[in-house]
Amino acid sequence: MLVERQSQSGQPLVEFSNQFERDRQSPCRRDLVLGLSMLLLLTWSSSAASGAKLPSATIPTEVRSVLKTYCVACHGPDSQEGEVRLDTLATLEPDARIDLLNKLHEVIRFEQMPPEGEPQPTDAQRQQLEAWIAAAVSSAGPSKLEEKLRRPDYGNRIDHDQLFSGAYAHLKAFTYDRRWLISEYIFDAKFNRILDFKPFLTIDGTRQPVVGYNNRGIILTNPFLLPTNTGVRYYANETLNGGHLLTMITNAKVASTHMFNICRRHKQYLPAIVEIMAREWEHERVLATRETFLRNFIDRVLYDLYQDKHEAFLPTFVPVSVKSTASANGDPTAKAPYHAAILGRDEMILIFHTALKHQKEGDSDEQFLEKCEREWFNFGHDKRNILARTTFLNKYMDEWRADLVKHNYAAKHKPPEYRPLPPDEMQVVAETILRHRARGDRFNAIIDKCMAQWRRQSEQDLTDAGPPHDDLVAALVDQLFVKILERTPEPRELDQYAALTRSYIDEAGNSQAIKKLIETLILRSDFVYRSEFGQSKADEHGRRMLSPRDASYAIAYALTDSSPDPELVQAAADGRLVTRDDYRREVERLLSKRDQYYVIDESVDRSHLTDNFTNMPIRELRFIREFFGYPALLPIFKDNKRFGGDYDTARVRLVSEADRLVESILEQDRQVFERLLTTEEFYVYHSGDNEAMRIAAERIRRIYDHFKDEDWQNFTTNDIRKHQNFIQEVKMRGMGRSPESDVKVLQTVMTSFTLRLDKGQTAAAPYNSFPSHGPFNASTRSGGGLGGVEVAKCFNIQLDNWNYPTTQPAKVEHRKGLLTHPAWLIAHAKNTETDPVIRGKWIREKLLADSVPDVPITVDAVIPEDPHKTLRQRLDAKTGESSCWKCHRKMNPLGLTFEIYDDFGRYRTEERLEYPENLIQKNPDKGAPHVDLRDLYKTLPVDASGYLEGTGDDRLDGKVVDALDLIDRLARSERVRQSIIRHAFRYFMGRNELLSDSKTLIDADQAYLKSGGSFDAVIVSLLTSDSFIYRKAIEK
Amino acid sequence: MLTNRRRFLQQSALGTGALALMPSLGPLVAAPASEGFPRRFVFIRKSNGIRPLEVALPTFSDQEAARDRKKEAMEADLDRHELPTWLQPLESHKQHMTILQGLSCKMSENGHWSYSSVMGAFKSGRNSLSGIKRATIDFELAKLFPSPFGHIELSLTGDYNTFRTGIVAGYSAPGPHQRNYCYADPQTAYNELFKSVVDPGGVDSENQMLAFLQNDETYKAQVLSGYEKLKLSNHIDSLEAIRERNNRVEKMSGTIKEHLPTINKIHADGGPNATTPEKQEAMTAILIAALTTGLTNVVTYTIDELSTPIKGLPGNETDHISIHQVGHNGGYSGVSADAIREKIRIGHIQQVATIIERLKQVPEGKGNLFDNTMILYFPENGEGHHSHGTEAPFVIMAGDNCKLDIAGRYIRLPYHGTEGHKTLGNWYTTLLNAHGNLIEHYGDLDLEMSRKKLPQTGAIRRFIA
Repeated sequence: MLVERQSQSGQPLVEFSNQFERDRQSPCRRDLVLGLSMLLLLTWSSSAASGAKLPSATIPTEVRSVLKTYCVACHGPDSQEGEVRLDTLATLEPDARIDLLNKLHEVIRFEQMPPEGEPQPTDAQRQQLEAWIAAAVSSAGPSKLEEKLRRPDYGNRIDHDQLFSGAYAHLKAFTYDRRWLISEYIFDAKFNRILDFKPFLTIDGTRQPVVGYNNRGIILTNPFLLPTNTGVRYYANETLNGGHLLTMITNAKVASTHMFNICRRHKQYLPAIVEIMAREWEHERVLATRETFLRNFIDRVLYDLYQDKHEAFLPTFVPVSVKSTASANGDPTAKAPYHAAILGRDEMILIFHTALKHQKEGDSDEQFLEKCEREWFNFGHDKRNILARTTFLNKYMDEWRADLVKHNYAAKHKPPEYRPLPPDEMQVVAETILRHRARGDRFNAIIDKCMAQWRRQSEQDLTDAGPPHDDLVAALVDQLFVKILERTPEPRELDQYAALTRSYIDEAGNSQAIKKLIETLILRSDFVYRSEFGQSKADEHGRRMLSPRDASYAIAYALTDSSPDPELVQAAADGRLVTRDDYRREVERLLSKRDQYYVIDESVDRSHLTDNFTNMPIRELRFIREFFGYPALLPIFKDNKRFGGDYDTARVRLVSEADRLVESILEQDRQVFERLLTTEEFYVYHSGDNEAMRIAAERIRRIYDHFKDEDWQNFTTNDIRKHQNFIQEVKMRGMGRSPESDVKVLQTVMTSFTLRLDKGQTAAAPYNSFPSHGPFNASTRSGGGLGGVEVAKCFNIQLDNWNYPTTQPAKVEHRKGLLTHPAWLIAHAKNTETDPVIRGKWIREKLLADSVPDVPITVDAVIPEDPHKTLRQRLDAKTGESSCWKCHRKMNPLGLTFEIYDDFGRYRTEERLEYPENLIQKNPDKGAPHVDLRDLYKTLPVDASGYLEGTGDDRLDGKVVDALDLIDRLARSERVRQSIIRHAFRYFMGRNELLSDSKTLIDADQAYLKSGGSFDAVIVSLLTSDSFIYRKAIEK
Repeated sequence: MLTNRRRFLQQSALGTGALALMPSLGPLVAAPASEGFPRRFVFIRKSNGIRPLEVALPTFSDQEAARDRKKEAMEADLDRHELPTWLQPLESHKQHMTILQGLSCKMSENGHWSYSSVMGAFKSGRNSLSGIKRATIDFELAKLFPSPFGHIELSLTGDYNTFRTGIVAGYSAPGPHQRNYCYADPQTAYNELFKSVVDPGGVDSENQMLAFLQNDETYKAQVLSGYEKLKLSNHIDSLEAIRERNNRVEKMSGTIKEHLPTINKIHADGGPNATTPEKQEAMTAILIAALTTGLTNVVTYTIDELSTPIKGLPGNETDHISIHQVGHNGGYSGVSADAIREKIRIGHIQQVATIIERLKQVPEGKGNLFDNTMILYFPENGEGHHSHGTEAPFVIMAGDNCKLDIAGRYIRLPYHGTEGHKTLGNWYTTLLNAHGNLIEHYGDLDLEMSRKKLPQTGAIRRFIA
C-alpha cells in the first residue's frame, strides 16, 4: 500500500502505508531505521567520497537473517540466478552495492521475490528488509525506485481497490509546488504567439483561425519532444538538460531576429522597439530609397547630370562570348526544353525590363541582344549572369517572346516608372554622384561609392544622438517581459534588465542589444517551465490554493496548449479564480468553446489526403488519442504487397477517421467510455460532412445512370458530343481537353463507376476514378481532394461491391469500438504479423489497472518461425513455460482474442501462413484500388478464444470467445471505467496518483456515473479537485 | 535528470542539431579512440541516384561483367582493374577505395527525394518531422566521437534557379522528430564555424548573456528546495557549462587560425554569382578546415540535390542546368544527359580527392588525419532518378585505421530480396558495430525481406576487421 511522503531531496515519495501507520505509532521503530541509515551513510559515503575501496558494510543481524533464509539459496555461493549474489553484498564496491540494492528494493517492494511457490518472509520481515534497503540507497542519492515511481509506466503500482475503496477518502489531496517543463505543443504555441504567427484554414468555406500549424517560415527546433510511447506522456518530472538549452540558444537567436523584423511592419507589436529604432530606421529608409532609385534609374540620372559628356564616362564595352548550339561535329543539336532552361523569376523579369527599353521595330535579334548586353555591362552586372542571359536569349528567343505573351509579362511585371526623388534628395544624390563618379566606372560601382558615403554619415548621426533614454529602456524591458513572459517585470527585474540592456547597447548598438535582450528573456527558466505554486494562507493541512495567475495557466494548459484566453486572464486579474466554483466556471466555459479550430496532428494534415482538425478543446481529444495510442501506426510502414493495395495513403486516413470517431463520441458526451469501447459505427472514407458525401455519391449515380445503357465502351468523339450538355451540367471532372481525351476519360470514369454501382449498390463511394494525379470525386471540408480510399480494405470492404453509407459513422460488420478499429490494431501489431502480447499488455495496463514487469534482459523475446503453425501456436510454444507464463498469463489470453484481426486490422477466420513454401498463387503487384493484390497462401483456422481475469467482477471474468466478447465484458466493468479515470487523472495532473488522491478519483468516477457517462463531467471534477487546486511547498 | 556537468557534456554532445550551429562551443571531453585519435566520417550525399552500371569497372572480364549485370554477388580487386572515368581522380588512392554495390534502401524513401530517410533507414513521410524516426547514422557516429561542434552539416541546394543561403533546414536528424540545421552557402558556414576567430566579440557577448542568466537563476533558486531546486540547478549548470565550452573554443582560436581557409569574395552575401563548382570548392575547403581544426569529427555534406542549380559546369559554362531535367534525359548545348551526369560526378569526385589529399598532409600520430577518416559518397535516392531503392551504390574511401575489411575492392552483395542480401540498415549497423556501438540492428527492416522470411538484421560481419 502506498502513500505520499517527502524524501530528503524534497521529492514526493511513496511507501507502504501500513508501515507508515506503524511508524507513526512506534517512534522507536523510526529511530531504528534512521539509526541504520546513519550507520550506513557514515560507513559508505565517507569511503565513496575518498574514492577508496570500502571496508565491509554493516548489515544488521535481522536483515542478514532474512536474506539468508529467503534469498541466499538462489542468490548465494551455490547459485546466482539472474547473476545476482547477495551473500557478498557487504563486500561489494560502493557503486555495485548501490546498484544491487536498487534492484533489490524494487523486487522486495512489489513482492516479486521470493518467487511464487517459494517460502515467503512475513510482512514484518519484508518491511524490515525494505526499510533497511531504502535507507541504504538513499544515502547515495534518490533511490532508483523513487524515481521510477514518478514515471508514467509505474502509475498502476498503487493498489486500485484501495484507491477506490473510500478508506482513504479522508486524506487531503494536494500537489507539490512545481515547475513543469513545457511540452512540444506548448513550445509551438509559445513561439507562435511571440512571433505573431496566426495561421488560418478555410473550413466549410469559411476562413478560420487554426492552432497547430507550425510552419512559421523560420527554422526553430523543438527540443521538448514527448516520448513516442502510447499512453499518457506528459508528466511534470522532466528537467531541462544541456541539449534543451543548446537548442533554445539557437532558437532564441532566430526568434529575436524575427521579432525585431516584425517591429518594422507592425508598429504596435513592440512600440518601444519602434521608438528606439526610429532614427536608425529613418536613416535606413532614406538610404534604401536612394539606392532603389539609383538601381532603377541611374542611367537616366547620369544622363541628366552629364548630358553629352555621359558617353565619355562610360566604361569600354567588352562583350561576352556565347557558345554555339551546334554539337562537336557541327550539327545542330537538341536543346533542353524551355522550362528547364529559364533562369529564374527575378532574372526573367530583369531581362523583360531591359528588353522593354531596347526592343525596337526593325532591329535584328543580334542588335537587340547587343543593346541588352551593353546595358548590363554598363550597370556592372556579373559577367556570368550576362553570359547566362545572352546564352538563354540566343537559344530561346522565340520561346521567350511567346512566353512573355503567354504569361502576360506586360501586365504582371510592369517596369518601375521614373519618378524623381524630392528636390532636396535629388540634390544630395546629384552632389554625391558628381563627387564620386570616375571615368570608366560601371554604374554599380558609382552606387556603391555613394552608398558608402551615406552610410558613414548615417552612422555618425546615430552616434551623435546617443543611447536611448532610461524611460525608453524601461519601457522596452516592460514590453518584452509582457510579450515573452506574459507578465510585467518586478521592480528588481526591471532594474536588472534595464542595466543589462544599457550594457548591451554600449557594446553592440541598439538593434543588436534589443535582439540580445529578447534572447535573454527566451532563455529564462520561466519561459520553458510552467509555474504552479500555491499562494495565500495555508489551510490546516499546510495546503495553499494556486495563485490566480498560475491557476489561469494550469486551467488553460489542462485543456489547450495555449496561454489563458482573455476571459481567463481577466478572471485571474479580477480575483475571480480563488474558489472551487471559480475553477468550475472557467473549466466549463472552456469545455463548451467551439470558436477555435485546432490541427489534431500536423503530420496527418500534411498528407493532403484528409483533414485533421477539431474545434473541441484539443487536449480533451488528445487524451483519448494518446490513451488508446492509435496514432502510433503513423511511423509504421507496411508492405503494400501484403496489404494488397496502397497502404501508404490508407495509413493517414485511418488515423484521421479514428480521430473523427473519437470527436463524434466526445461531442455527444454520453456513456463515453462505453461507446469508445463498443461502438459499431465507424467512419470509412468520409469527409465528416454527410451532406457533401451524399451530393458526391448522387452525382456519381447520375452519371452512371445517364451512360449505363449507352455503348460507352465504344464511344467515338461524335458520340461524346451528343452528351455535351449533360457533361457540362454535372461538371464531369477531367473533361474538356480534347474530344479524344474526353472519350478516354469517360471510359475510365464509367468503368470505375460501373464497378461501384452495377451490383445493386445503394450508393457509390466518391473516390478518384483515375489511377493517380486525376481529379477527385469528393472534397475534404477544407477543399482538398478526398484520398486514401483503400482504407476500406482494412474494414474488409470490397470497393467494387460497397453500399457506400453517405451518412457516417455507420455500422461496420465484425467491429466493436476503438480496439477493433484498424488504426488501433495496426498500431499494436508488428510489421508483418499481429502482436497478441502487446495488445494484451495494453488491455492489462490501460483497462485493468494492472502491471506487467518489463521483459527480463536475459529473455530472447522472439517468437520462433514455423511455416506450419499459426502465430498463436508459435506463441504458446514459446511462452508456455512456467518462467514465461507467470507474466504472459496476464497478456496472452487477452491479446490472443484479437487474432480475429490480422496486422492490417482486417477481420479473418483463417490465418494466412505467409511463408514462401506456403504460396499458392502469386498475384500482380499493381492494379486498380478495388483489386486485392495479395498473394494467396495456405491458411489455418483462427483460434481467438481467451480468458479475462482482473476485473474484480465474477460475472465478467472467465473464458471469452473472441475480442468482441472480451470487449463487451470490459465495457461493463467498473474497474475498466475507473482505470480510464486514473489515466485521465495522470493526464490532467501530470503525475501519478497517490492514496491521498483517492477522493479526487472517487469524485471523478461518481461524476461520470451521475452525468450519464460525460467525459466533460470527469474533467470538471478533476480540475476542481483538491489534487488540482491545492499546492504544498516542498519542505527544506 | 541532469546530475553533473560531465553528464551535461555527454547529453549535449549531440542532443540537438543546434549544437552544430553553435558558433562558440568548447570542446567536449572526447571519448578516447582505441589509438587515441577519434575516427572521422564524411557523408557526401548526391542527388539523381547512382546507376549501378556507372560504378561497374570498365575492365571487368566478360564473365565478371555478366555477373555484375545480372546482380550476382561478386568481388574484384580494384588494383587489377581500371576505375570508371569519373572515379579516376581517386586513382592514386585506390588502395583506400571500396565500391559497394547491391545494398538496398527500400526502407527509406525513394523516387526523387529521400530527405533524412536515407541516413536514418526509415520512411520520412515526405520529410515530415513526425516521420523522422531516429537519429541519423551520422549523428549516431558523432556520439561515439564527440567534438566541440559534434556534427556539422553543409549543403548546396536550391530552387532550381538560385541557391539556398544562410542557415537552413538540413537532412540529418539529431534524434526522433528533430531536424538538423545546415549551412547552405560557404560564407555562412565560414562565419559560423570559425566565429571564435572571425567574430570574437560575438562570443564575448554571448558569454555576458549567459553569466547574467546564471546569476538570475541562482537568485531564484535560493528560495527553492528539493526537486524544484534541482530543476533550476540543472538550468544553472547548463548555462555555466556552455560558458565553459565557449571559453574552450576561444582557446582553440590558434589552431583555427592555422587552418582557416581562404574564401573568395564571390561567396559574400550568399554568393549569388558563384558557379556551382566554385561553391563546391569553397565548401570542400570549409569541410577540410572543420576536420583539421578538430571542431568536428563528422560532416554531412549534400553536394547536390535535385533542385540544386548547376551553373558553370565545365563544357556547359553558359548553361543553367537542371539536374531534374538531366534525370529525365535532357541534354544541354549539345551535351547529352549522360555526359552531364558524368561531369557532375567528376566534379564531386574531385572534391573527394581534394579532401583526401589535404587530410593526408596533416600529421596525426604516426600517420596523418586521413588514416582515421572514412568518406562515404552515395546517392540520396538509390539507383536512379526515379528510384525504387533496390540498389544504393556507395563509394567509400577509408584511411588505414578504418575498422572495416573492405578496402581496395569492388564488392557486389546479393541482390535485393534474395538470400544473403544486405540493406542500408545492415551497412549502417556495420559502421556502428565497428566503432563501438553494438546495436543489434540500426534502421527499419525491409518489408520484402520480411515477407520472404529472409534474415536481414545485424552487421555485415565479414566487413568488420
